[in-house]
Amino acid sequence: MNRVNWQRWDPFREIQREMGRLFESIEPLPSWRVAQPFPVMNVYDAGDRYVLTVPIPGVNPEEIDLSITGETLTLRGERKRLDGVSDESYRRQERTFGRWTRTLTLPDRLDGTQVIASYANGVLIVSLPKAENARPRQIAVAALG
Amino acid sequence: MSQDNRTIPVGVGRPRVENEPPGTLNDDTFAEKKVYQTPLIDIHEGPEGLTLEADLPGATEDNVSIQLEHNVLSLHAKVSIPVPEGARVLHEEYRLVDYYRSFILSDEVERGKITAELRNGVLRLTLPKAERAKTRRIEIKS
Repeated sequence: MNRVNWQRWDPFREIQREMGRLFESIEPLPSWRVAQPFPVMNVYDAGDRYVLTVPIPGVNPEEIDLSITGETLTLRGERKRLDGVSDESYRRQERTFGRWTRTLTLPDRLDGTQVIASYANGVLIVSLPKAENARPRQIAVAALG
Repeated sequence: MSQDNRTIPVGVGRPRVENEPPGTLNDDTFAEKKVYQTPLIDIHEGPEGLTLEADLPGATEDNVSIQLEHNVLSLHAKVSIPVPEGARVLHEEYRLVDYYRSFILSDEVERGKITAELRNGVLRLTLPKAERAKTRRIEIKS
């Protein structure tokens, strides 16, 4: 074993001080120090469908599990830490890891067969068409007589 | 003390105007938004140096800029997450705000050899240790 003493090398020694200063600056979002759901998401109503945008960087999209029952959507996955990096080697750890689940109930029933999900640049985008009978429809008025 | 201001050759775009702090840019897109969010980071250390990982979801290679000026490494990224056209917001947990964060590096980082890569919204910066900062084992001859 090659025991090496890293005590003397600390390029980020100044960081703590710098961070303190940064945290005092304006935070446009509710600070992450306050418990926040993980991952966060925005939900849009695009008429015939709902669109979900979920920033969730550094995951394998194949490992995201998406299930739909009626008007309820469940997203599940795991965000893994790097392999081969021991806990002791971390100088700073702010990012969230582990298993996560989020369940969302939408105002209308969903058509589970038409869901499209894509993942790019660390953002998951899910397009959820509303069930046929939940979409706004035009009803023709028949003229009688 | 090195007086040269140089950018790290990382092969990523630089939306920033050189040597201008954020918020005073001529670029219209930045001029509108003067608030930034602080990206979450991890730093871990290996035998060859440090690795810094930053969560930058919604950032692409073309709109991440990393700059080293004196001993300050600054990270700036534009966020673009598509919003469906004509859609109404039902629920909002995040906003499209650009990322900015700066770090102070010591002289023990080999500045010319810093590399960066962006994958799935995670930026990984590799900060190799300068030769002279590496611990050496000195044999004592009897």
